[in-house]
Amino acid sequence: MQKTKNGKKSWKQDFRKNWPVYLMFLPLAIYFIIFNYIPMGGILMAFEKFSPSKGILGSEWVGLKNFVDLFTGQAFTTALRNTVCMAVINLVFGFFPPIILAIVFSECQNRVFRRFAQICSYLPNFVSAVVVCALVTEFLKSTGAVTEFLTWLGFERQNWLANPNIPVFWIINALIGVWVGMGYGSIVYTTAISNVNNDLKEAAALDGANRWQRVRYIVIPSILPLAMMMLTLSVGTVFMVGWDKILILYMPKTYDVADVLYTYTYRMAFGQTVNYGLSTASGLFQSVVGTILLVVSNKLNKKATSYSLF
Amino acid sequence: MEKKKMSKQEERRRMRKIRKAEEADKPSMVVNGGIGGKIANGFLYAFLVVIIIICVVPMWHVLMCSLSEGKALLGHSGVAWLPVGGLNLGGYQLLTKNTGLLTGYLNTILYVAGGTALGVLMNVVAGYVLSRETRWKPFMILFFVITTMFNGGTVPTYMVVRALGLTGTRWSLIIPGATNAMFILLVMNAFASVDKSYVEAAQLDGAGHRHIMFQVMLPQCKGMVMVTAINTAIMKWNSWFEASIYVPTQKDIWPLQLWVKELTQNTENFLKVRNPDYNQYLTQYTVVVIATAPILLALPFFIKRLEKGMVMGGVKG
Repeated sequence: MQKTKNGKKSWKQDFRKNWPVYLMFLPLAIYFIIFNYIPMGGILMAFEKFSPSKGILGSEWVGLKNFVDLFTGQAFTTALRNTVCMAVINLVFGFFPPIILAIVFSECQNRVFRRFAQICSYLPNFVSAVVVCALVTEFLKSTGAVTEFLTWLGFERQNWLANPNIPVFWIINALIGVWVGMGYGSIVYTTAISNVNNDLKEAAALDGANRWQRVRYIVIPSILPLAMMMLTLSVGTVFMVGWDKILILYMPKTYDVADVLYTYTYRMAFGQTVNYGLSTASGLFQSVVGTILLVVSNKLNKKATSYSLF
Repeated sequence: MEKKKMSKQEERRRMRKIRKAEEADKPSMVVNGGIGGKIANGFLYAFLVVIIIICVVPMWHVLMCSLSEGKALLGHSGVAWLPVGGLNLGGYQLLTKNTGLLTGYLNTILYVAGGTALGVLMNVVAGYVLSRETRWKPFMILFFVITTMFNGGTVPTYMVVRALGLTGTRWSLIIPGATNAMFILLVMNAFASVDKSYVEAAQLDGAGHRHIMFQVMLPQCKGMVMVTAINTAIMKWNSWFEASIYVPTQKDIWPLQLWVKELTQNTENFLKVRNPDYNQYLTQYTVVVIATAPILLALPFFIKRLEKGMVMGGVKG
């Protein structure tokens, strides 16, 4: 309160006292302005016929033409369909495994074995995207181990990655996501479960609740808010659909089912036909939709469980 | 120093003993006896064994393939549980002759070290700046938070890096992406939780900002700073996309992961020559092993810290 009385003076005093702190902040500010704030201004390119020689401010201004081109183009609509479908499949496939895994971990009474299983389940998360793709290619090629298994189940022998039929690549992509994220994603749930009051479980046991009932009526309700929060968070980033792996794994034969907004954006900027305006427009579209999704899902979450992120 | 370490270890051992004794004394009310309990336990263990197999076997397969005989491996299908066609180190011998790859390995080490050092320095300074009671503090925090919500995307970022003249140089792989607002906010929370009386005492003793930051506050926030350092290091080690757009053609400064990407694609090209060296077929496996082994072997040592960081800030490694 006292500060606001003679605000001007105290700003000055503050600066006189804390100028070394502000001086230390300066390089950080420059770093973030260069690599975070200036690129935000780059979205202007979405409204321009951008040419690198003229720069962002000198290029021809074309209004919404890029967006019109984008939405009427064949490639973009295919990419949009693929992105939406993959996003939904990823959400459905990716949501439950970490929770189930965390519950199984918490029910496993042999500590050493549990710890070993936990660390093993984290491993895929630390393997680089490039190596993950190499593994996927290796296991899904026509003599790969997964292909052998599927052939044994009665499917036709083939290189599954080259299969252009509709849900195949989408399911592969979702399963890669599960393999990579399952163990690491279970950490938050494991912690939440270990924070559940043990007395509660013991009381339930004394009352004759069996193990399944204890999980069903004590553990699951207590991690539900967290699960909803994680779901909300993942909805916000759902459009990213593992794009870096798709970029390595897709091939001309599967472009129709595997091309997503991110790879489309990438190709428009770094592919053979360069169109920075179109690429930025596509990127902007993605981040706007991502933000809308996050806000909407947060609202829904708030209504359903009265918890919210912001 | 040595003495201190010993006592810490002893303390930990004692605590473990006490905990064990307590647990033995207190019979848990939650028992899963009877046949039903045994069957349920059986299912649990079976489930976990399947999980372990799914997560470990792919890596095991690649390791075994890298030690196999090339020609035999070419005709092999399914999982390689043991080296196919007998143990053969030829693949690794071939790697030592691949100078491009070895340079890539050194490059990656350089990028990891440089990027992590820069990132940690920025995180610590930011954490300290934001822990001081200054009038601009809320605005400075907002300055970082905004960047978590909005970003320009790949293309504008690329334009900036190119405009700075960094593309095609090593700096483009060290400077961008050294830190981000999530890490800074994590370290800020750690610095904010340091007891203010330490800082005041140091100030009374006439300590300057640098002394307070590095000698008084940093030792108490070591854990969180380590979490961000490990995460940055793993991110830098595994990154390939930045390099593929910033230094697409400069093979001498390629990081390891780009070499992995190149060497694991078109793996059967070597068959086109008349007398193919079948060890070349192994390259796709050996390169994966040398790119992945360092992180996976180091994992048990830092996994505890990462788990903590994951829970506190939702940081993904």
